[in-house]
Amino acid sequence: MTPHFGLPEFGFLLRGLQWTVLLTVVAFVGGCTAGLAVALLRTCGHKGVEWITRIYIGIFQGTPLLLQLFVVYYGLALTGLKLDAFVAVAIGFTVNASAFLGEIWRGAIQAVPRGQTEAAMALGLHYSSRMRDIVLPQAIRISLPATIGFLVQLIKGTSLAAIVGFIELARAGQIVSNQTFQPLLVFGVVGAMYFILCWPLSWWGSRMEARLALASQR
Amino acid sequence: MQDQILIEMKSVQKWYGGYQALRNVDLTVRKGEKIVLCGPSGSGKSTLIRCINRLEAIQQGSIVVNGHRLDDSIKAIDVVRQDVGMVFQSFNLFPHMTVLQNCMLAPIRARRISKTEAEATARKYLERVRIGDQAEKYPAQLSGGQQQRVAIARALCMQPKVMLFDEPTSALDPEMVKEVLDTMIGLANDGMTMICVTHEMGFARQVADRVIFMAEGQIIEEGAPDAFFRNPQHARTRQFLGEILAHH
Repeated sequence: MTPHFGLPEFGFLLRGLQWTVLLTVVAFVGGCTAGLAVALLRTCGHKGVEWITRIYIGIFQGTPLLLQLFVVYYGLALTGLKLDAFVAVAIGFTVNASAFLGEIWRGAIQAVPRGQTEAAMALGLHYSSRMRDIVLPQAIRISLPATIGFLVQLIKGTSLAAIVGFIELARAGQIVSNQTFQPLLVFGVVGAMYFILCWPLSWWGSRMEARLALASQR
Repeated sequence: MQDQILIEMKSVQKWYGGYQALRNVDLTVRKGEKIVLCGPSGSGKSTLIRCINRLEAIQQGSIVVNGHRLDDSIKAIDVVRQDVGMVFQSFNLFPHMTVLQNCMLAPIRARRISKTEAEATARKYLERVRIGDQAEKYPAQLSGGQQQRVAIARALCMQPKVMLFDEPTSALDPEMVKEVLDTMIGLANDGMTMICVTHEMGFARQVADRVIFMAEGQIIEEGAPDAFFRNPQHARTRQFLGEILAHH
């Protein structure tokens, strides 16, 4: 006899949700760190370095995320490096996120008026201080809506991790659905979980956007 | 000491791609001198002063500021920028910092002085530009004239030897021009060495030791304000003066 959707099944979905959140956090934190480096290199003023970063961004924006996950999981295995599924997808998502966040922040850095950098230079401030004290605080504000938007995409995108056998929320839903034959109910619950995760972020993002629009009118 | 040379530009040439922005510019500025640079737009006057603190690189010639030759080395650029303050047409205050923080940042970061000392210096100069009571506000809460006075105080906090002004009143509403000019006049009377790109000819008459007229990247003529305004030598200067004085 087939089990009905009950507490144990719900608990299984919750564990999947946990992995989704964990994967998102790791990929986002890692992606932010690496993405900041990408954005800084992309705007450093050295033509060669800017080109290399541009190609890096181009590769990860121009190929399917699925392919990138395959390359990390199976590709690295071919070289003898057998990675745990979580580590593999975490690396894949981190690298992918670094390219997208790098590009978002590149745009934000360049959106800070040139006069800000000039004033900082005229005051004798070095690159590190110009970035840390002047440009980045303004760039982060500018990029916040897009960054939050990317985070929401990332949360939903982690469902791709199922493809290499990692059991996150979507994959957990599939398993429970196959066991209970109640796909509508199960995927309804899964959808609701994603929604509860993403919607407040989206709401926060659009509120930030409205506030920024208001601030720039002043 | 009065004759100490602070800035010496020799045969300076600058190109933007194929366009020559500065042609063979020679300029010597002595300590305490006040110089007004004028000329039609695109004549290279802003470019000239932006070369002095290396916001723009030159392709030929030499610039020596306070005994330091400005070359491509970070060290040289650093030393020169410490000695040269600059005020921009568009103020360029840091919008995410209060007025006080705007004035404290560079002394702390570039001069490495303590926070307490930086704050004392900042408050002193804010007081001097008569804006001490606005120290905790953000730039967006101030009027244009107030913002420009903060920008002047911010530059002074680095205790520069020379101040460069790049059309400091051009972005201001007419009723705010005077408060900024008065601040600059006060600074001039205190003996600050100044190079001002401006169309304020009243200011030039009142404080300038020399007025320099530029066109097409060249210094066309220069002289004491009296002679310069009464008896300009070149047709190009007369035409320019005729155009701008017609409005006053």
